[in-house]
Amino acid sequence: MSDLSTQLYQVLLRATPEQVWEAITSPDRTRLYFHGAHVENTAEWHTSRGPDGADWGDGPVLEFDPPRRLVHEWRSAYDPELAKEPPSRVTWEIEDTGDGSCRLTVVHDRLDDSPRTARSVSGPGWGTVLDGLKTLLETGAPSVSAP
Amino acid sequence: MDDDRVFKALADPTRRALLDRLFARDGRTLGELEEGVAMTRFGVMKHLRVLEDAGLVVTRRSGREKLHFLNPVPIRRIHDRWIDKYTEGPASFLAGLQRSFEEEDRSE
Repeated sequence: MSDLSTQLYQVLLRATPEQVWEAITSPDRTRLYFHGAHVENTAEWHTSRGPDGADWGDGPVLEFDPPRRLVHEWRSAYDPELAKEPPSRVTWEIEDTGDGSCRLTVVHDRLDDSPRTARSVSGPGWGTVLDGLKTLLETGAPSVSAP
Repeated sequence: MDDDRVFKALADPTRRALLDRLFARDGRTLGELEEGVAMTRFGVMKHLRVLEDAGLVVTRRSGREKLHFLNPVPIRRIHDRWIDKYTEGPASFLAGLQRSFEEEDRSE
């Protein structure tokens, strides 16, 4: 079995850091690529809600440095089995590559005691989200059809 | 084109083996990746460089160590762009049939 306690994902986006920041902190943007989740990140708190308003997970924001760095706790409230596991941590890093593009790195770690969450978000999980974010920022096309 | 770099990086058995090792356990140092590979340190570094250029491997510093992580996003994109459309329908039926025959062979 693969060790999934620290997972890293990186994608190159043809967008400005400000556009990427808005796309990861505004529910009106996240619902278009993040499995339909309305994700809101303020300087204090991270909230994720389903299209019907259901709690999909929330937690404290640990670092908030627009438009470069966002760190928040992750709780998988969208699934009752996963919700029992301890919170993990997600770090978003946006680097301007200087040619109209950004490198976005997502690190999901502190998953040592949350093996089910680790499996659930691995591979296609984060991969699909970041692929959808890239498509949204570069073409304007949503990857999740609005309900 | 990014895809070209990914295909090129994947078209080498040593590089695929390095990705498999990172898949089994992520976040390894160069020293750990050298172990069990019949190759000089310089050779392994060269291969890692190609994987990094393709975005398949990303390095991060942790204290004094430089750790290598597998980045699955480029493979995901290739899967969505090149694999999905060819595996739907009859091709996937035939691949499934082939798999079930092979499994029967093994169980005999």
